[in-house]
Amino acid sequence: MIDTKPETAPNEEPMIIARDVHKWFGNFHVLRGVTTSVELGNKVVIVGPSGSGKSTFIRTINRLEEHQRGDIIVDGTPLTQDVRNIDAIRRDVGMVFQQFNLFPHLSVLQNVTLAPVKVRKWKRSDADDVAMELLTRVGIPEQANKYPGELSGGQQQRVAIARALAMRPKIMLFDEPTSALDPEMIREVLDVMRDLAESGMTMIIVTHEIGFATEVADRILMFDEGVIIEDAPPAQFFNNPQQPRTQTFLSQILT
Amino acid sequence: MAADTQAGGRPPATPDIPPPRTETGAIGWAYANLFNSRHNAALTVLVGAVTAIGLWFCLKWIIFDADWSVIATIGGRFIIGNYNTDHACPGNNCFWRPQISLLMVTTLLGMGWGIAAGGTAKRVAIAATAIIILLAFLPYSLERMGWDVRLLLLANAPALALGWALGRYTPLGSVRWIIIFTVAGFLIHLLLMRGIEGVPALQPVAINQWGGLTLNLMLAAAGIGLSLPIGIALALGRRSRMPVVKLLCVAFIEVFRGVPLITLLFMSQVLVPLAFPEDFPLDNLFRAAVVITLFSSAYMAENIRGGLQALHRGQAEAARALGLPGWQTTMLISLPQAIRNVIPAIVGQFIGLFKDTSLVYIISMLDVLEIGRTFIQGNTEYLSHAKELFIFIALVFWVFTYGMSYISGKVEEHLGVGRR
Ligand SMILES: Nc1ncnc2c1ncn2[C@@H]1O[C@H](COP(=O)(O)OP(=O)(O)OP(=O)(O)O)[C@@H](O)[C@H]1O
Ligand SMILES: [Mg+2]
Repeated sequence: MIDTKPETAPNEEPMIIARDVHKWFGNFHVLRGVTTSVELGNKVVIVGPSGSGKSTFIRTINRLEEHQRGDIIVDGTPLTQDVRNIDAIRRDVGMVFQQFNLFPHLSVLQNVTLAPVKVRKWKRSDADDVAMELLTRVGIPEQANKYPGELSGGQQQRVAIARALAMRPKIMLFDEPTSALDPEMIREVLDVMRDLAESGMTMIIVTHEIGFATEVADRILMFDEGVIIEDAPPAQFFNNPQQPRTQTFLSQILT
Repeated sequence: MAADTQAGGRPPATPDIPPPRTETGAIGWAYANLFNSRHNAALTVLVGAVTAIGLWFCLKWIIFDADWSVIATIGGRFIIGNYNTDHACPGNNCFWRPQISLLMVTTLLGMGWGIAAGGTAKRVAIAATAIIILLAFLPYSLERMGWDVRLLLLANAPALALGWALGRYTPLGSVRWIIIFTVAGFLIHLLLMRGIEGVPALQPVAINQWGGLTLNLMLAAAGIGLSLPIGIALALGRRSRMPVVKLLCVAFIEVFRGVPLITLLFMSQVLVPLAFPEDFPLDNLFRAAVVITLFSSAYMAENIRGGLQALHRGQAEAARALGLPGWQTTMLISLPQAIRNVIPAIVGQFIGLFKDTSLVYIISMLDVLEIGRTFIQGNTEYLSHAKELFIFIALVFWVFTYGMSYISGKVEEHLGVGRR
């Protein structure tokens, strides 16, 4: 098993700091002042109604979306227009998408080794070794030479996780990683994520898998209309939510 | 066997059953597809009868009525035009130069066969060489087609074998080397055709004397080889965030797509010289190649842009999220997928380009079609056999375009377009 714990010594600063983050799509005000922080090794789950800005927020953390006001600081590096900062942050932040987004023209192994070889400049043989270890860890070493189109959804998402981990990220972002999957595949992906959480990875996860959130999360954030309206540990969040909107939302998804 | 999908290697709960047998064999197929209803059976008989009658008349004409002597009379000029005539090459000893180019082509085909895993490269290489070898046995008198010509044609068999061995057993057996050799070979071909002043064996031949199928193939090769990279650059430029680059690319594409190729060829006579220094040796061939390439690039750019447009946004996002810089995302993720998805359109463009090389007749170049047409014009006793002539030329074009289409189909299969 590979050690995915960050190599840096724990420091006082949180891994991610967001201060009064605003984002507009045209005239549409999507993020309306998001302020939060995530400590090293913490797991934060984000829930909220559709269109509340969950995806947009986690995508601002690796600059897939640009925020227009406020500050985002990732592992001490502020996200500005500076391309070097953005590239540095992207190398250290892994992301897993709802639609997997594997590269269909590359084999599973090539999907996993592409970024380490091209971005981290590893030797191909080293990258292959690491990739095989990661594929073993997510339970599909025997699929290494297949193409993504030949795998089930659950297998594809596990490859996507291995691909992100191959860059040895310090932070992993998950945007509804199981929403496009059938129930039995959801379990195999959540198992991998649980294992990753136990290894000490800093994680932000957008998901509506309440059982998983309760078990893994340190905190749960509730997004609504572009702001965080509730921020609490799972037990308190589910048993004793403070905001009426959270109560309504929970009653909807728990039925 | 798909046993690896069985979690933990469990034995299957029920024994494997072979798939149900469907009707097999020619009779089974015909029964299932042609005679499966009264309606369909009647249609099959009717279409079959019409086809048979048509085929009968065609064959009768081809074998008994047609007079193919016009093809034999034109002979080698179909291939090299007036290149080896007294006027172009006093002494008529320039015939071997295009033959060397042909040997280079078969060597390259052999290399392709040597490195390819699939059978397509092999089939194409063998088919092309077989046609060339057959030419060596044409029933011409030795006076019209000498031993030297025949031996050079036969030499394509060892050239193929040499290429195959190079591709198979030496470090030169890689796609990169094939590309390098192809480009180098094309330049050597141009030099050989042009000749060198002062070298007796290589007396210069004026470029306006080049012609025949060689001319079509040269223009097509240059056009195909250059319009793909130029088209890619234009497509990327059109999507660029820099307004100036974008504007220039859009303007280029719209201008070259908006004007008929014939007009461009006429204009090349006056416009291309403006882009070059005054004493630059501009010949018709060069101007035609420039215009055909740019014309094709404009269409190519739009094909590729279509392929890029069709890609899911998540592909580039995933690459960027992994830390790949923008240009690597384009080169490694977006472009390969875009090109794969539009291979049929790209090959269609190549085929169109090859056929369009015939249009150079309007700037008085003698391509294979024009060789035939001018021959008939100058030898009116053959006027009544124009049919045979043009059918033959059509067949020549068809063989090449079908070859391209066949190869592209196999490439698509190999890349698994639509499967992965
Ligand atoms: N590229 C875009 N351009 C314009 N509007 C966008 C864009 N992306 C998202 N939006 C809008 O921003 C709002 C927030 O989108 P976002 O994807 O962040 O929501 P979400 O909370 O992730 O919802 P879901 O649970 O449906 O994924 C939505 O109203 C969406 O329509
Ligand atoms: Mg979302």
